[in-house]
Amino acid sequence: MMDTLCVVIDLSVKHWQRSATASDQPLSLPAFLIQLVAFLNAYSAGSSDNALAVFAAFPGKSLMLYSSTDTQPQSTTVSGPNSYPPFQLLDDAVVSSIIHHLESLSDSEQEAPCPLVGALTKALCFINRLTLDHNTNTSNAEGLDPIALPDPRVLILSVSPDITSSYIPIMNSIFSAQKLKVTIDACQLSGPDSVFLQQAAHLTGGSYLYLERRDALLQHLTMTFLPSPSVRGAIAVPTQDKVDFRAACFCHKNIVDIGFVCSVCLSIFCQPVPVCSTCRTKFPMKTLQRLNASRPPAQPRPAPIGTNGVSKANGSSYGTPA
Amino acid sequence: MPSVEENPLESLENVKTHALLPFLHQQSATALSRLYTSPSSCLSIFRLLTPVERQIVMNILWLESAIPLSTMAAWVTIDGKKLYERSLETLSQLHILSQYPMKLLLNSTFKSSLRHAITGGGTTGSFGVPATKDPKHSPPTVESLDGYALERWETILHYMVSSGTGQLPTKPSTGVLYLLKESGLMSGSQNFEPQITSEGFQFLLHSPHDQLWELLLQYLHMVERRSMDLVEVISFLLMLSTMELGREYSTENLSQTQKVMLEDLRDYGLIWQRRPSSKRFSPTRLATTLTSSSEGSSLSTLAPTQATGLGNSSSNALTRSKGTGAGIGGGAAGGGAGSGNQQGFIILETNYRVYAYTDNPLQTAVLNLFVSLKYRFPNLVVGSITRESVKKALNNGISSEQIISYLLTHAHPQMRKFNPMIPVTVQDQIRLWELEKNRLKSDSGFLYTSFQSQADYEYVLNYAKELGVVLWENNAKRCFFAHEEGHGNIKSFIERRRTAGQGQ
Amino acid sequence: MDVDSDSDISIFDDDNENSRNKTKGKGKTTDKRKKDKGKRKPKDQAYTWEANYTRSWETVQEDEAGSLQGAVEDWIARGRRKRHAHCFQSKNSAPSTAIRRTIIRHLVLIIDLSSSMMDRDMRPTRFGLTLQYAREFILEWFDQNPLGQMGVVGMRAGVGERVAEMSGNPQDVLKALSDRHKLEPTGDPSLQNAIEMARNSMNHLPTHSAREILIIFGSLTTCDPGNIHDTLAECIKNRIQISVVALAAEMKICRELCDKTGGQFGVALNEGHYKDLLFELVPPPAQRTVSRATGPGAPNPAADLMMMGFPTRLPDSSPPSLCVCHSDLRSDGFLCPRCLSKVCDVPTDCDVCGLMIVSSPHLARSYHHLFPVKPYVAITTFDNQSSQPDQQACHACARPFPTTVAQSTAEGMSPIGRYRCPECQQDFCSDCDVYIQNHLHCCPGCGK
Repeated sequence: MMDTLCVVIDLSVKHWQRSATASDQPLSLPAFLIQLVAFLNAYSAGSSDNALAVFAAFPGKSLMLYSSTDTQPQSTTVSGPNSYPPFQLLDDAVVSSIIHHLESLSDSEQEAPCPLVGALTKALCFINRLTLDHNTNTSNAEGLDPIALPDPRVLILSVSPDITSSYIPIMNSIFSAQKLKVTIDACQLSGPDSVFLQQAAHLTGGSYLYLERRDALLQHLTMTFLPSPSVRGAIAVPTQDKVDFRAACFCHKNIVDIGFVCSVCLSIFCQPVPVCSTCRTKFPMKTLQRLNASRPPAQPRPAPIGTNGVSKANGSSYGTPA
Repeated sequence: MPSVEENPLESLENVKTHALLPFLHQQSATALSRLYTSPSSCLSIFRLLTPVERQIVMNILWLESAIPLSTMAAWVTIDGKKLYERSLETLSQLHILSQYPMKLLLNSTFKSSLRHAITGGGTTGSFGVPATKDPKHSPPTVESLDGYALERWETILHYMVSSGTGQLPTKPSTGVLYLLKESGLMSGSQNFEPQITSEGFQFLLHSPHDQLWELLLQYLHMVERRSMDLVEVISFLLMLSTMELGREYSTENLSQTQKVMLEDLRDYGLIWQRRPSSKRFSPTRLATTLTSSSEGSSLSTLAPTQATGLGNSSSNALTRSKGTGAGIGGGAAGGGAGSGNQQGFIILETNYRVYAYTDNPLQTAVLNLFVSLKYRFPNLVVGSITRESVKKALNNGISSEQIISYLLTHAHPQMRKFNPMIPVTVQDQIRLWELEKNRLKSDSGFLYTSFQSQADYEYVLNYAKELGVVLWENNAKRCFFAHEEGHGNIKSFIERRRTAGQGQ
Repeated sequence: MDVDSDSDISIFDDDNENSRNKTKGKGKTTDKRKKDKGKRKPKDQAYTWEANYTRSWETVQEDEAGSLQGAVEDWIARGRRKRHAHCFQSKNSAPSTAIRRTIIRHLVLIIDLSSSMMDRDMRPTRFGLTLQYAREFILEWFDQNPLGQMGVVGMRAGVGERVAEMSGNPQDVLKALSDRHKLEPTGDPSLQNAIEMARNSMNHLPTHSAREILIIFGSLTTCDPGNIHDTLAECIKNRIQISVVALAAEMKICRELCDKTGGQFGVALNEGHYKDLLFELVPPPAQRTVSRATGPGAPNPAADLMMMGFPTRLPDSSPPSLCVCHSDLRSDGFLCPRCLSKVCDVPTDCDVCGLMIVSSPHLARSYHHLFPVKPYVAITTFDNQSSQPDQQACHACARPFPTTVAQSTAEGMSPIGRYRCPECQQDFCSDCDVYIQNHLHCCPGCGK
């Protein structure tokens, strides 16, 4: 039973510092790396056929740190008699390259946001490549419907909050993950809940975990993200109830539950507008009048559903920025 | 939208237990505890477990104290209940779970060893002590190791397959011959050349991974008889499986038993040594893939024994498969690259023709067991499956299912496009030929004959028919044949009737 | 009736001539096609029985070691690229800025269920193949048009039969097609009846949504109760676009239906071409009104502002209640933000207040049509940039680039297997290029 796992690590210097100095349950990067490495080893221990790749999102760039299919086993590092050589190789590759890259960052670069989406798309390209190889080997290269890999998945370990500008790329990645039958798991280690990652996990059938007990990181990782999707059929993993599907308007970034949408480009507005700001389409006057008339009278609307308690229970306070 | 399979548990339930585990079940708790002191053994055994068992172990690996069963059971889905309980059962049989069924706690030795395996550290040296650099010789290349393993392994198989044909291939060493005889795969007395048995024929059609383990299990049984220390033997085998291909290890830290084993394993092709007295040894791919996946991909992990025919594919597959560490890709022989696919070589047509893209004498010989071969070309063997050829195989003790599964596992990638892969006509015909063999059914019984009168005959016959034991009857000759079950009753019935007749 | 079954030959004569010339020049391409019967371009192909004899073995060359592996792999990679080439070109020709596409589509799929569908000229039968392709088409269509709705009408025994109601849920539509015994072909088809039925089901739709009819037509006759040209006129009036995929031969009336309503017409040459014709209709059409003579600046009648609701999803663990759409008792579902009634699935129109309910991912699914990735440039020679150490492997999947130059390449292909993003100047391999442009819609280098 072969698994494919791509781990995407968010290495935002700023947010790791914040996490390390947090008042309750601080988690520093070195402590995190130790537990991460144990998790990765536990995954590779499952079977030597398990494919593993590690991607990192550094401030301003993203990189592949390790992949079990590309790294040469005959490396220069001599492993001692007390450790399993592939583990040694993996640990060295991940830890040393993270340290190397973080040290080479200048102070100004450290502030740059981490493009999680770059690492995520790389992971998907990598899985796509494995899928193609897989099909070539089974001589299905000319077949029209590529056979999906068994249980490919991506695990995102994030510390930074959502970057609103990457909404569309993230959504695009999620949809192509769906097509590749990739499960996206996500773990938000600190900071606020990530709406993007929640949606990613929900839409691909993965699991989203907000790490509340940071001291038990390894146990959480093992329980939630180690089992492959097929094992999850027998031993369940935490799932989420609360997924926010509301959208933010393009004009004021308000979270709306009833919005006005351009039929051409699907831009969302919180009130009827005569011209679409995205595609410059002019809308018929008749529609504007009709919509203005049908709009709920009081503006701003006194959030009608909030009052009867339904959305309080289920909707979180974040919208989907666009 | 989520990528959930129709029945996600099906694949989990069908996972085959590895051949080694039942053997370990039979061992005592103390023996297993001793085995678990070595991190490499723990890691290897962990790999042989099913995915659910592995997950259970991992879930409680980092816990210090026992947890109640209910805590864990809360995570089990309704469908997975049976699977989960079976997994716990297996784990406790292996003494990996120590307090089951009261609480869930890992065996403390196992726990600390597996932790060491995963995090590194410890001082057990159970992953093998690498030898210091040899100033005179460079360590063997992966290619030469593969070639060596392939040559050794094929010698054994080839010897088996051609033992009946009168050819005299190279003989494997006496140790191997002894093992083959002991395991019942070959038979023969002192004076005669050993002959392959029907188990031997069946063995030939198994996947290489299964074959290897079958032999090793026999070896383990033999070790018990040779009063060697079983735990050391097993832990050495498992240690080999965690070693790195292409690296030289020192023999200095090995125990006496393990040094003896070196010689045996050299004969099987698991270990390479420059000289028998050498202080260093290298595991071959056969050894390092021992605990790789026990299903599917095992074919390509041990690709040396097959697919050598596609020599031209080797260069490419090698470069790509190298990276996958201990597991994937059949280096010299061009196994599946990257993902552990089988690379088959047989094309079977609906007209019973078989085209095998191979120039490997062993594969040809195995095919020859049930195919009548017609032509041989440098990389292609053509033959057809005929009634005679299948009959011959059946007579050798090979079953039709084994033939079909061999054809399935070695089907050429082109064949894999079809569904079903093997033409139905051929499959059915092979099965029919097997049924043909079973036309005669033998039953032991008694023939009742020379009745005095037709009335007597019918009277007894009716009685026998009531018992339902009549297998054959002939009115004209006044005789019938009844199953031996009814003999006692019929006999006493006749005697009663005779005495009654005399009494009148 | 207007039946003209002889006109298909003349249309394709030019193409055939073309293809013969091409076959001589490029052994490789035809060869590839022989293997890969699934996908063929209508441009350079002939009917199956007209195909030239090709010497496939001559196109494969051994390398120095006498191995074919390299050549074969190269060949497979080419095939992959080629297969995606046409969607590719259409992308490349379009400007990378936001373009107008009709996103909210309503389509009625009309399937011929007349006895002519039992012909075996396409394997297994026209009917069997049509059902199979229709299922794939529906899945792909809903994937690319998440806000679209589709209905299915069958033409059987002289009448139109409603097979599936207009629905936004692919599963509903697929379910209607799942039972082939209910759809067993019989009798004559009636184009008019079927089109009338489809037209009626789309009558009530708002103006901003595109209305389309796709007819899969296997027969050479139609048996209509009235004048079909009246129906055609009605369709033009209602702005319904009709496309026809004919399986037998071109009919004048079919051609006219398509030409007059702005749809596409095609005759399937073989199984692969049939699929191509069908799938050409999957991507949302670029806004038609641009080309219309309405004058610049005039308000676009097809564009409109729509009111949409973004629902709240109820968790699986909430207490079960009845949904307004099927009256099923279930615990999960979505709440309409205006009237708070519960519906099973989105996107849909609320059954109570009629508000269109979508979730934001549904909208987002269409954004890639509007903000496509900039096409990558094929690098033809090694330059300074490609020799940098971090550019030795594909920037996305880390596959090492080939170090040798391929001898022959088609246009638009890089002989050194590198494709560069104009934005971030990173190099990508051919597979990733195809994947990024066609599926991912997001450049891993610049993250846009």
